[in-house]
Amino acid sequence: MTTSNMKLLCTVLGKMRIDNIITRSHFSHPRFRPPYWYLPKERVMSDELLTQENKDFLEEVKQDKLIHQSALVSPLANNEPQELVQWNPFTRRVGLIARKIGNYPMWSKDGKKFQTTLLQVVDNHVIKYIPPEEFKPMKSSKVVWKEKRKLGCLLIGSETIDPSTVTKEYCGLFNSVGMLPKKHLCRFMISPHAALPTGTPLFATHFRVGDHVDIRAKTMDRGFQGVMKRWGFKGMPASHGVTKTHRRPGNIGAGGEKARVWPGTKMPGHMGNRWRTLRGVKILRINTKHNILWTLGVAIPGETGAMCYLFDTVLPLKKLNTPPPFPTHPPVEDLPIEYHDESIHLFDEPTITFEES
Amino acid sequence: MKQRALSLSKTLLLSHNSKGLPAIRCISTKEAIDRRHHLFDLEKKRQLENIGRIEKIEVNYKGVPNDCTLIMNKDISTPYDCARHLGEWHTESSALALLDGTVYWDMHRPLTENCTLELQRFNIAEPQQVNKAFWRTCSLVLGACATVAFKDSVPVHLHSFPGPDIRSGSFIYDIDLPTLPDWKPTPQELHTLSAEYVQLCRKQLPIERLDVSQELALEMFVDNQHKAKQIPSIAKATGKVSLYKVDKFVDISKGPLISNTAQIGRVAVTSVHALTGSPDSEVKKLYRFQGVALPTGVILNHFAFSILTERAKKLNSARSPINPFADQSNPAHESIAARA
Repeated sequence: MTTSNMKLLCTVLGKMRIDNIITRSHFSHPRFRPPYWYLPKERVMSDELLTQENKDFLEEVKQDKLIHQSALVSPLANNEPQELVQWNPFTRRVGLIARKIGNYPMWSKDGKKFQTTLLQVVDNHVIKYIPPEEFKPMKSSKVVWKEKRKLGCLLIGSETIDPSTVTKEYCGLFNSVGMLPKKHLCRFMISPHAALPTGTPLFATHFRVGDHVDIRAKTMDRGFQGVMKRWGFKGMPASHGVTKTHRRPGNIGAGGEKARVWPGTKMPGHMGNRWRTLRGVKILRINTKHNILWTLGVAIPGETGAMCYLFDTVLPLKKLNTPPPFPTHPPVEDLPIEYHDESIHLFDEPTITFEES
Repeated sequence: MKQRALSLSKTLLLSHNSKGLPAIRCISTKEAIDRRHHLFDLEKKRQLENIGRIEKIEVNYKGVPNDCTLIMNKDISTPYDCARHLGEWHTESSALALLDGTVYWDMHRPLTENCTLELQRFNIAEPQQVNKAFWRTCSLVLGACATVAFKDSVPVHLHSFPGPDIRSGSFIYDIDLPTLPDWKPTPQELHTLSAEYVQLCRKQLPIERLDVSQELALEMFVDNQHKAKQIPSIAKATGKVSLYKVDKFVDISKGPLISNTAQIGRVAVTSVHALTGSPDSEVKKLYRFQGVALPTGVILNHFAFSILTERAKKLNSARSPINPFADQSNPAHESIAARA
């Protein structure tokens, strides 16, 4: 009886693998052919022999269209919301598309210095709303039944561009809703009652100071990296007789029954340029003139100048408790230029003093 | 087919003096087109045979690559043949010919005497006449496209098109559709018309000209009452009517046209507006087909072309042939209101 118990224990323990921890998600092979709905965006610019008059006229038309677009008064300011559904903690509202513009130090009221990242929200507009019944994304890993589809999709665009620099098909996406083409497009999954009409501008005041956000962006592309930078291996000593092995991985497997290199073994390879979401980033300061958010920390994925997407946090302890500007902050004329968190030390306040003890 | 058309033409000639109205209505649009095309070919052959002894003329060509003198056949050689002597690029790029620095001549029209020839392209310094010829050609081809595009059950009677006015923003053709009293084309239908137009242009058809007598012109357009009424006034000046043929489609036009439909590049049929006739005119309603086009080789981005198309959608303010004294903007009404 003890031998059978022993055997059972051995088989169970044998199945457990303690040395092989697969941290990478499922590997998907690179796809070289675009899907059927893909619309090419870049256009081959050819030399157009237009007279100066015609070029000026085209510029005028573009300016007119831009002014007309920005003059679209969003219904939030206009009519009183007829059936403004109240915000509840389970509502998912829209996010923002921002650009990482740099890092800056700030000081807390205790005198402690910390780094912040500046994220600028440039020219965000709502392009389209797709209700849950009509939303059929190309890729869906799990079969979601129609009745369960509860979230609608809101298309947000940022940074208006010149329509003559992009293809007609890409412009057609925007022409169908009467907007000028945007450089970046993003989907935000929202509750149906958080939907916004086309042309609504979104500002940095959509979030408030002290809110926590999730930031999703593509990490910096570090190229082909060795095992020390990529996986944090310790490497070998630089001297003391070590021959030709300073940054190498060393052993890559054990002998025994399964005498092979396990799939997922950590090795050198391409690092970076992946989508990562940083959760629970705190907003410390908002500038309403240039639509900039100051966030705590410098670990926002991506280089300076890269785009990132901001969402309300899903972390349970940092989620929204009080109603935020819902569905979004309307365009208001006289707003204070800066909003600060209470923990920040402002430079026009008296200096921080410490008692000598 | 040929015999059938010949017999048809014979019976019509015989019944021309007697009231042949019921016979005309039996001819469908397609048969009428074939008949006209056949008569055009016969007349062209006849005129060619009438020349007799071939005489030579001296054509002094001025332009790229160098000035030269060409010895061509009188009443047979066309400026297109002269261009063929010079090279393929000349044949493809030339739209009009300028004789003696004054007369604008079609590329496929035979030369009659010694002259100085210059070939006109779209990118020359003074392209006004070439542009007008281009606009005229676009109107003519729009008529051709409309006759082909409709179903066989819908008779299409082309009325006319006015002189070219490029600044108006669109080229037009006024067409009578008797079986469609209230037709508003959907964007899809306009797209289909544009597609037909583009197909016609991509066939790369040469545009041939023929001067015919008034009687033959009346004979050819016996099924189209509007054209039949216009022919006497057109022929009043010279006694001849200038016809243009684009692959089976024959129409009347005064001025020079460009050499080949391949020279029409980006084109869009933008809108169709309904014109109502004045109470005393016989024709009650005409449809004004409008379009905009650019010559081949002109590169323009889609945004700028969309601005041109939007402009061409508006009703062209050229005078309506059935209501020439009605003001489209109705300022008379405003002034009455202002006076009252």
